[in-house]
Amino acid sequence: MSVMTIYHLVAIFLLCIGIFGIAYRRTLIGIVLSIELILNGAGLSIMASAQLTPTPNELGQVGTLLVMGIAAAEATLLLAIFLVVSRRFKNVEAGKLITMRG
Amino acid sequence: MENLEYERLAWALLYGHIAIIVIGGFITVLSQNLVRALVGLIMTLFGVAGLFFLMAAPFIALMQILIYVGAVSVLIFFAIMLTSAWPGGDESGTISVRKIIFAGLAAIAPAIFLGMAAILKPPPSFLIPDEIEVGILGRFFLEDFILPFELISLLLTVAMAGAVVLAFEMRRKK
Repeated sequence: MSVMTIYHLVAIFLLCIGIFGIAYRRTLIGIVLSIELILNGAGLSIMASAQLTPTPNELGQVGTLLVMGIAAAEATLLLAIFLVVSRRFKNVEAGKLITMRG
Repeated sequence: MENLEYERLAWALLYGHIAIIVIGGFITVLSQNLVRALVGLIMTLFGVAGLFFLMAAPFIALMQILIYVGAVSVLIFFAIMLTSAWPGGDESGTISVRKIIFAGLAAIAPAIFLGMAAILKPPPSFLIPDEIEVGILGRFFLEDFILPFELISLLLTVAMAGAVVLAFEMRRKK
């Protein structure tokens, strides 16, 4: 097993445990934690694929940075959305948010 | 002889960081307390940063620590505190066995397909990656990749503005 395969298996582990968390967690914040795990796995996979193959290394590093930027933007927006949701519904449980109008 | 020592050290570091990632991932997903889950996520992020260091990408590893551990974790911590997720919305309480089984099945499906693809058809790869200078990375960003660079800046600006607009609207309604 090459080193790149090990890195890819770690990335797949992060993806799978993130999917498990999205299905398993009850609150929206727990779901966001799982999404962050998945995005990290994506970054790790991109980086391993570029650093350990003949692909130019810059491509992988730039791609990982872009993934991080998207994750930061997503976390910012989700914080604001959770604030609004918690004010209107008085909780942040995914199962209890069943109406579109607050 | 010295090279062999270094190689052993590298393998130990690799598996140590993988262990940190795995433990942190399980804490993140399974912990009943959301703050503990966040600490598990931070542990995982540090482990991934260590793997970036091992892949000879120190700049990205430092960015990982700065952006994820420094900024995103604090944001999520604010989200936990401001939404007061304790009394009814905490993760405590029993979870039905059916839900656990379905969640496990959802997680196993990509594990099987992607894991088989990664193990059975690995592309040729090196053992030791080259390190590139940060200056080259910067030139790459500003010459070849200028459009994605500007677009990610625009995305961040729009996300900040959207967050502020949402928060202000909330206050006006009150």
